Amino acid sequence: MLTIENLHARVEGKEILKGLNLEIGSGEIHAIMGPNGAGKSTLSNVLSGRGGYEVTQGRVIYQGKDLLAMSPEERAWEGVFLAFQYPVEIPGVNNAYLLKAGLNAKRKYLGLQELDAMEFMSMVREKAATVELDAAFLSRSVNEGFSGGEKKRNEIFQMAVLEPSFAILDETDSGLDIDALRVVAGGVNQLRSPDRSMMVVTHYQRLLDYIEPDVVHVLMDGQILKTGDKSLAKVLESRGYDWVRAEARS
Amino acid sequence: MSLDAELLHKAVAQLHGSSVHHDLRQRAVEDLLTQGFPTTRDEHWKYSDCSPLLASLGARLYHDSHPVDDVEMARLVDVESYTLHFVDGVWDKERSDLPAGITVTSYTETTDLFAPDEESVLSQGFTSLNGALASGGVMVDVAEGLSLDRPLAMMHSSSGKVAHVRHQVRVGQASEVVLIEHFSGEGAHSGLTNVVTALHLSEGARVAHYRLQQEGLLQAHIGRLAVKQQRDSHYCSHLLTLGAAWSRVDVVISLADIGANCQLNGLYLLSGRQHGDHHIQIDHLAPHCQSDTHYRGVLDGRARAVFNGKVVVHKGAVKSHSTQSNANLLLSANAEVDTKPELEIYNDDVKCAHGSTTGRLDQQQLFYLQSRGLSESEARQLLTLAFVGEVMTRMNEPALRAYVQKGCFAKLPHPLDMNMEGFL
Ligand SMILES: Nc1ncnc2c1ncn2[C@@H]1O[C@H](COP(=O)(O)OP(=O)(O)OP(=O)(O)O)[C@@H](O)[C@H]1O
Ligand SMILES: [Mg+2]
Repeated sequence: MLTIENLHARVEGKEILKGLNLEIGSGEIHAIMGPNGAGKSTLSNVLSGRGGYEVTQGRVIYQGKDLLAMSPEERAWEGVFLAFQYPVEIPGVNNAYLLKAGLNAKRKYLGLQELDAMEFMSMVREKAATVELDAAFLSRSVNEGFSGGEKKRNEIFQMAVLEPSFAILDETDSGLDIDALRVVAGGVNQLRSPDRSMMVVTHYQRLLDYIEPDVVHVLMDGQILKTGDKSLAKVLESRGYDWVRAEARS
Repeated sequence: MSLDAELLHKAVAQLHGSSVHHDLRQRAVEDLLTQGFPTTRDEHWKYSDCSPLLASLGARLYHDSHPVDDVEMARLVDVESYTLHFVDGVWDKERSDLPAGITVTSYTETTDLFAPDEESVLSQGFTSLNGALASGGVMVDVAEGLSLDRPLAMMHSSSGKVAHVRHQVRVGQASEVVLIEHFSGEGAHSGLTNVVTALHLSEGARVAHYRLQQEGLLQAHIGRLAVKQQRDSHYCSHLLTLGAAWSRVDVVISLADIGANCQLNGLYLLSGRQHGDHHIQIDHLAPHCQSDTHYRGVLDGRARAVFNGKVVVHKGAVKSHSTQSNANLLLSANAEVDTKPELEIYNDDVKCAHGSTTGRLDQQQLFYLQSRGLSESEARQLLTLAFVGEVMTRMNEPALRAYVQKGCFAKLPHPLDMNMEGFL
């Protein structure tokens, strides 16, 4: 699905990713953990095409294609989805309009028939229910006045509508209460499928109790310093990160 | 280019009208001869230099002998209205369609001339020129207690001539009307529309006024909108500036009696080398009056906009409420705006707030939309429409709102296949 080779990336002249390698297979869920400021969001942003990041070395192959050569919207049409750590509010742009425009742009790109308003609305209502999002949110402006938890729920709802092949969840669990966490994780689990992969960025092992990862990575010092199975998350929870660096150095 | 007194006198002498017209014209001529045309040394014309316009029009400013070209009459698609048609400011009486309760007389035939709004600090040069030379325009009388079932539309088409147009609208006690003033016309040569519209709202009158300027890009447009409001009257203005190469509109509101209130919404979308200047002056003269101004502008290319809003709360105008905001969105590096909200208060018992902002499209919002599959140009368009939508949501007449939305959509750079269904 996704192969990252020797990725180096800078923000404002400062190198954040320093030769990162990662391979994510079809249908797999990979958790990315690591201390604050390690570069987890940087990696997520570089993969989804946000401006302001300079890739100085390396390459990313996604479904056989050069991901980094694509515009953000092309990546979306090719099935990449980013659930933002901090979803932005967009007053005056209607949620439903955005989703319909985005979904139909993707369908057009894939040579599929565009959905009409009726088909779209019934599909969207159904998906909203899976993350227990009130359908009234659809006619509101994107994220405007949403609570922190509602914003995160909205991200997963959008993911359910856009049905990506590769989803990046950047700290979707932060800011959620226990019940919301269960709902959001439930939404994510419903989307698990053999042809859909996910990269889940989190600080907490708790999320991984709900969304069971196939692989857990530690991102530190601009690289994947350690890779393990889901038990690694438990070790990190109790021991922190310093030992990972020490082990990697030796 | 300075004023040509000889040409001015000659042009005035050729005009028809009653002795009332004659007196008013003489006064205007005198005012103009004393004041002259505004220059950039004039505080309210600092950013709008009219000298190139005056130079290019030359003698046509006083008397334009260009023949009237055929012009296509503008229509407001999908808006049902009673309609008055004007070509280069001249009322086409034969084509009028008027309901009971509305009386229309051409400006040169009425003897009921409104006194000029002399108290305004905004420079009067072009208004005086208009007073001296106006031959086009009408007096519209709306009877008392009338509630008009459709908007009254005053449709102006310019063939590219210089036209001095003067309208007077008197709205009777407790009457309710939606008034449209529409300006269009794609003339072959560059002309000037110099229009003064005076509106008098009697006690308890309610007016929603759509002033839509969509003139051709060879045209210059200078407008003055002077509104006088009596007790408990309500005036809501929606002003749209899309057209003309160079435009200047002054809105002068006088809240003359207790409980009058006005809402001024404005939108200017300028591109290329367009220049658009909006000056507003609101005088709170009586207690318990309210004014709310909300103007937004979008500037692309090398466009230049000027906004100046001044609210004056006079002595004795206690319990005044006033808000004023002006927000500008710059779509290109070369676009420019000068904005200045001003407030002068001469008593303590008032609530006033004002402010202005100028910004660019938010990169984070753009990326968010793109990450959901919208192309960059579509995302830019959508965010721009959201910005102007803030003004449109205040328009209470759905057909007119849709018309304005379409006009704005067509004016903004957008991908050809963008589907706005569901957004509009
Ligand atoms: N736009 C920017 N300008 C300057 N520095 C930036 C910018 N974006 C990120 N950085 C820096 O890059 C480093 C990595 O940031 P990033 O957001 O990727 O970390 P993170 O691993 O996601 O952290 P967290 O766990 O706190 O979300 C940090 O030192 C951050 O300050
Ligand atoms: Mg982060």
